[in-house]
Amino acid sequence: MRGGPAFSPFAARGRRAIGAILVTFALFSTLSVVLSIRATSRSKHRATVVEIAGRQRTLAERYVNEVMLVRQGRQADPRYTASLLTTSARVLLEGGEVPGVNGDDDETTISPASGSPVRAQLKQQRRLVADLTTAGTAMLAGDVRKRPSMTADERIAVSDPVRRLRVLAALTSNVSLNAARSMATRADRNITDLIRTQVALGIAGLLASLLLGWGLVGATRRQTAHFRSLVTSSTDLVLVFGARACRYVSHSVASMVGREEHDLLGQGIARFVHPDDQAFVQSASAQAEPHEVVFRMRNRFGEWRSLEAHVTDLRHDRLIRGIVLNARDVTERIRLEEELTHQAFHDGLTDLPNRALFRDRLDQALARSARSREVLAVLLIDLDGFKQVNDSLGHDAGDSLLKLVAERFCDVMRPSDTLARLGGDEFALLLEGANEQGAIGIARRLAERLSEPLNVAGREFALSASTGIVLHPGGAGSREELVRHADVAMYAAKEGGRARHEVFSYDMAREFGEVLGLEHELRLGLERREFSVHYQPEVSLDGAGIVGAEALLRWASPARGNVLPDRFIPVAEATGMILPLGEFVLREACTQAAEWRDAGVLPDPFVMWVNLSGKQLSAGGVSALVYRTLEETGLSPGSLGLEVTETAIVVEGPVGDRSRAELAELHDRGVRIAIDDFGTGVSSLGQLRRFPVDMIKVDRSFIQGVEHDAKDAAIAANIVSLAHALGLVAIAEGIESDGQLASMRALDCDFAQGFLFADPVPGEEMKKLFAVKDALDAPRAGAAAA
Amino acid sequence: MRSKSCRLAALTAAVAAALVIASCGAEPAPRARGSATRVTERDFKISVPATLAAGKHVLAVWNKGPVDHELIVVRARDSHLPLRHDGLTVNEDAVEAATAGTLEPGLPGRTRELRVSLRPGRYEFFCNMTGHYLGGMHKEVVVR
Repeated sequence: MRGGPAFSPFAARGRRAIGAILVTFALFSTLSVVLSIRATSRSKHRATVVEIAGRQRTLAERYVNEVMLVRQGRQADPRYTASLLTTSARVLLEGGEVPGVNGDDDETTISPASGSPVRAQLKQQRRLVADLTTAGTAMLAGDVRKRPSMTADERIAVSDPVRRLRVLAALTSNVSLNAARSMATRADRNITDLIRTQVALGIAGLLASLLLGWGLVGATRRQTAHFRSLVTSSTDLVLVFGARACRYVSHSVASMVGREEHDLLGQGIARFVHPDDQAFVQSASAQAEPHEVVFRMRNRFGEWRSLEAHVTDLRHDRLIRGIVLNARDVTERIRLEEELTHQAFHDGLTDLPNRALFRDRLDQALARSARSREVLAVLLIDLDGFKQVNDSLGHDAGDSLLKLVAERFCDVMRPSDTLARLGGDEFALLLEGANEQGAIGIARRLAERLSEPLNVAGREFALSASTGIVLHPGGAGSREELVRHADVAMYAAKEGGRARHEVFSYDMAREFGEVLGLEHELRLGLERREFSVHYQPEVSLDGAGIVGAEALLRWASPARGNVLPDRFIPVAEATGMILPLGEFVLREACTQAAEWRDAGVLPDPFVMWVNLSGKQLSAGGVSALVYRTLEETGLSPGSLGLEVTETAIVVEGPVGDRSRAELAELHDRGVRIAIDDFGTGVSSLGQLRRFPVDMIKVDRSFIQGVEHDAKDAAIAANIVSLAHALGLVAIAEGIESDGQLASMRALDCDFAQGFLFADPVPGEEMKKLFAVKDALDAPRAGAAAA
Repeated sequence: MRSKSCRLAALTAAVAAALVIASCGAEPAPRARGSATRVTERDFKISVPATLAAGKHVLAVWNKGPVDHELIVVRARDSHLPLRHDGLTVNEDAVEAATAGTLEPGLPGRTRELRVSLRPGRYEFFCNMTGHYLGGMHKEVVVR
């Protein structure tokens, strides 16, 4: 390879070659024209000179005649003719202004004669003219005998002066003619030379142009070869289609299709493009603007490959006359894109549509319904007790279970239905054209299929699900609203005792509308630290002062103000928010108690009572949480008490067993246990006996009636007696009046709490209450009683 | 030894052949023409030897110019040749029978040849361009 650039753009090279050709032509043409102009002007000059030389002949003869006329006494002016002769002879030789003849105004300036033979002849002419005029002058002077001296070389052997004069004139005439002829010959020769030069120039120009043209053709050929090799070696596929058939295919196309290039030429578009894609490829080709299309083409193995082509309409290009498809194989890319799209819209575990695709399908179904007014139903299915499976057998087993469940659900539904996994153990089913009976039928069948035992990790499971059903009556509708209503119905099913389905109604909406809103706010509130813990003291009725405090959650919502626990705790329990909230209270209370202890304000004995929700218990892991919290806060187990409801400890089955075991374990470690709201639930005394409890809280509903209602008083008395019989402490909650206090004292109740003593207060204020222990011992109404 | 003598012989032969060829080339070419007689013409004079031997002559006519000249060779008793009516040129028709040779007008600076056959007697060499004969361009030649 030479050192030059491997590739220089053709356009620049071609332009240079064409430029060189034009310059060469211009150069030769200019040269030719200049030569012609010069030759023409010289020819003109020579013609003048020849004419003047010829004129000398006539003048010489006229001079002789005039001399003769004068001698005969006639009118003539030989002197003027003589001067014309002399001047012309001089000018012809040396150049200058040529005198006119007979008043001819056409005066011309000529240049000195060139060429030695011509000059010699002109010199001779000048001498002869001098001799002629000398002889003529002598004759006119009448001095005819004296022979004038001759300047030229003539030796005239004639004695008659007139004849002598005529001989001289003849010689002059002859020499003039000779000179004129010499000059004419010279001009002819010049013209011949000029023609020769022009021909030579023409041939040289032609040769130069041919050379350059040859170079241009060579360059073009090399460029074409270069581009062809670029096109043929490129992996890009280039096809050119004429009106009906293929006009060009690149080598890459031939090797992809597995045929020779010439076999493919002349084939129609159908030979290359997938039948389904032909229509739009053809319509794309009909557009004037270049653009991209993707179509499929069969390769040599008979497999359809996706090609992305840049289509350019070059039918009006004289050199192409066709539609150019510049294509790349994008099969892998498209496959990847499809895979990614599938991943984006499908659940990785079950390969069911995910929440995003479900939303999309629902939107489309609603759009169709808006047009056709066809009904549709949405089912929201939440597996009951799936969390326990996950917790007890591990996530792999849980995943296997979910897969099996998905398969079973798929058996039930129609191909037109959309079953999606929204996340966790929650599934959604979209049924187009299903009315209430249809939707309920499906829900039942789903439940039936689910109730058949599932074999996972060597164990058999029978699952149930809570299903919320919402029906769309047809027409326009909102996706969000439908899903929300399905959610409400699903919560209703869960609240209604699980393993059931509920169809959404607007009464339900009113009940659950706020529940769903509250859940969101609770979540936000926890993040925004809107929750705090207040403490309500528990006092000993035998005068020992404060013996404990109940930790109570307070929510200062910016939107709702101070929200009562009665309002938001059920929602928190229903939505699972109770777990983080419970953890929050436990941590706050323990931290606070430890702080008081460290500050030395804590009475002894003192128990910090924290409420434990049934949900927390059934979720499991309470003992671990309590230990961790105690360890982190440094509080001794004996300073913490857990209040559980009656219903929470009587749960049947493995979950209840585990909860009780955890509580028993905590109790063994020293943590106190209290039964909250005792007397309201379905308590079994037998269980109570087996269960490790330290304290029973008499529900406030009995306290309210203890003064005046004999039944309430009797129940309260029985509870206190029962507690004492079991060796437990009894506490009356919600003491609001002195009468209630007196009644409970009379029943020999151990402790009491209520706003008669103190409202629930922040931790700082509790410190003050510890300090004025007498004041609490003899509460506000206490003084009056005393 | 043997090859050396052979080579010497070959060389000698080559040199000899070369000499023969060279001597042939050097030999002067034989004269194609008879003895040339130089005739010089100039304005307005003819120079030619006053006497020539009878017989065929090649006249090498050199025109020194500056103008064109011709050469006519006429056998004449004297130098007064008959003139035409213009009184300036020799009447060539009148002397045609006595004309030994004619050379048409030629350009100055050229040498041309005129073949003439001369008998013993008197000849006039002249140029008959207008006025040249009377202007002095004639010469008497005696042939013996």
